[in-house]
Amino acid sequence: MALLEVEDLTVNFYTEEGVVTAADEVSYRVERGEKFGIVGESGAGKSVTSMSLMRLIEDPGRIESGEIRFKGEDILEMSETEVRELRGNEIAMIFQDAQTALNPVFTVGEQISEAIRHNLGYDDDKARERTIRLLDEVGIPEAEARYSDYPHEFSGGMQQRAVIAMALSCDPDLLIADEPTTALDVTIEAKILDQIEELAEEFDTAIQLITHDLGVIAKVCDRVMVMYAGKPVEKAAAEELFYDPKHPYTVGLMSSIPRIGDTRDRLQTIPGTMPDLVDVPTGCSFHPRCPYAEAACTRKEPKPVDPDTGMDATGTDADRAAACLAYTGDLAGELDYTVEVQGEDPRLQLGDHRE
Amino acid sequence: MRRLSDFTSGRQDIEPFTRDRDDVSPQSMRSIDGGFLSRLLVPQWLKRRAITVEIATPQTAYALGAQIPFEVTMKNRLPVPVTLTTRSPVLWTWTVDGLTEASHVELRDPPDETGEFSFSRGERKRFSGRWTQKFRVARREWEPATPGEYTLGASINVDTAEQDAVGDETTVRLVPE
Repeated sequence: MALLEVEDLTVNFYTEEGVVTAADEVSYRVERGEKFGIVGESGAGKSVTSMSLMRLIEDPGRIESGEIRFKGEDILEMSETEVRELRGNEIAMIFQDAQTALNPVFTVGEQISEAIRHNLGYDDDKARERTIRLLDEVGIPEAEARYSDYPHEFSGGMQQRAVIAMALSCDPDLLIADEPTTALDVTIEAKILDQIEELAEEFDTAIQLITHDLGVIAKVCDRVMVMYAGKPVEKAAAEELFYDPKHPYTVGLMSSIPRIGDTRDRLQTIPGTMPDLVDVPTGCSFHPRCPYAEAACTRKEPKPVDPDTGMDATGTDADRAAACLAYTGDLAGELDYTVEVQGEDPRLQLGDHRE
Repeated sequence: MRRLSDFTSGRQDIEPFTRDRDDVSPQSMRSIDGGFLSRLLVPQWLKRRAITVEIATPQTAYALGAQIPFEVTMKNRLPVPVTLTTRSPVLWTWTVDGLTEASHVELRDPPDETGEFSFSRGERKRFSGRWTQKFRVARREWEPATPGEYTLGASINVDTAEQDAVGDETTVRLVPE
């Protein structure tokens, strides 16, 4: 049994403009200790999917259907008290903007201690001790002195570390990291990602990492789900996704990554923008931006299928899936792209080997 | 002409920071929760009559296959806020020949609860949408519309019997190129 299984999750927001389907039949699973990535542009439904796991969707949003099984128990069927027990304790979240996640009128140490006291039942002294140790582990210098600092006395990177410390304070089994490094500069980003990875390994925590940065996915994740307009369009092992992407959207995302030494005058981008989720295009949601789109793409919405066999891959067990009509025999043409790997795989140089 | 002294006449002092029993009641009456009062005092039938809905397309005829943009304008004609109770959290819908969002299949299963569509006094709301000249025939399949005349409608999601009062329709012609 997987640690987390999300099956056919659909989340709707009832707005004045219309019904926004932010997550549409999303299915995936996260194994114990695994690092699972969700990638996509802004508005793809990544954060909504993750917030649903902790039942943090606010009005006018509704988790309309599906199941979210954590250790076999459906979170959507739990009482509010049971979910509160789960939050912070077994599932923790690192929020995108650390500054707003921290309460400005309490000291950083107190905020972390509070979580420890509440979830683990520690007394004041023990909670303080554990907090100082955690702050030290996430790389806050002079942790004991910094315990009494307010969030505004921390830099952006330190605030993010404090939020990570808070998330890890109760040894969660699943850590949801919602773009944890978006607000940080690249040097701090690399450090924070290393830290999340190290700490997750140390505490044997599974990570669900949400990002729009494929570089972050490549660095951290074992398996990836690519989302577009609220739907999962591709699922694959991280390595497979980079060496053999199957969905045109994934290909577009990859070709839009800037590379050092690239001789092209202009960076290749995906034309157009993510559709308004109130008014999603008919057929495949990606067809208006897809260079391989045919008439069939406007009339038929592809289901996630195994790209090799064309068999249905909508469930949580599917490790390889792509939602494109090219794999169901509905397209006249073919997806005409090639993936060039330039230079050596840095992971190979480090002594790893690919299977 | 009225002077400032008219307002203060009869008062023993006008110094700041001095408390006066008379100050209390007028101040507390300055702000009125119009939405709350409207809910209490304006009957539902009047609220429905107060809201007008209009749907319009830029043209009346379109080439086959072209997208048909439309604009829905809703206006509160009353000088007080109005809140309509809708049948579900879906506040309004658009239709093509009576089919919600041009779909032959039921698209949504909204929660079994009512919704509230609020308008400020005299407020005008504008929503835009488009019909791609396709009808949804299955969960994942669409079929193109054939040439002919189609009725585009928009209505607030109130009881069916009263929907006409808060809805509007317009017709468009699809012509082969």
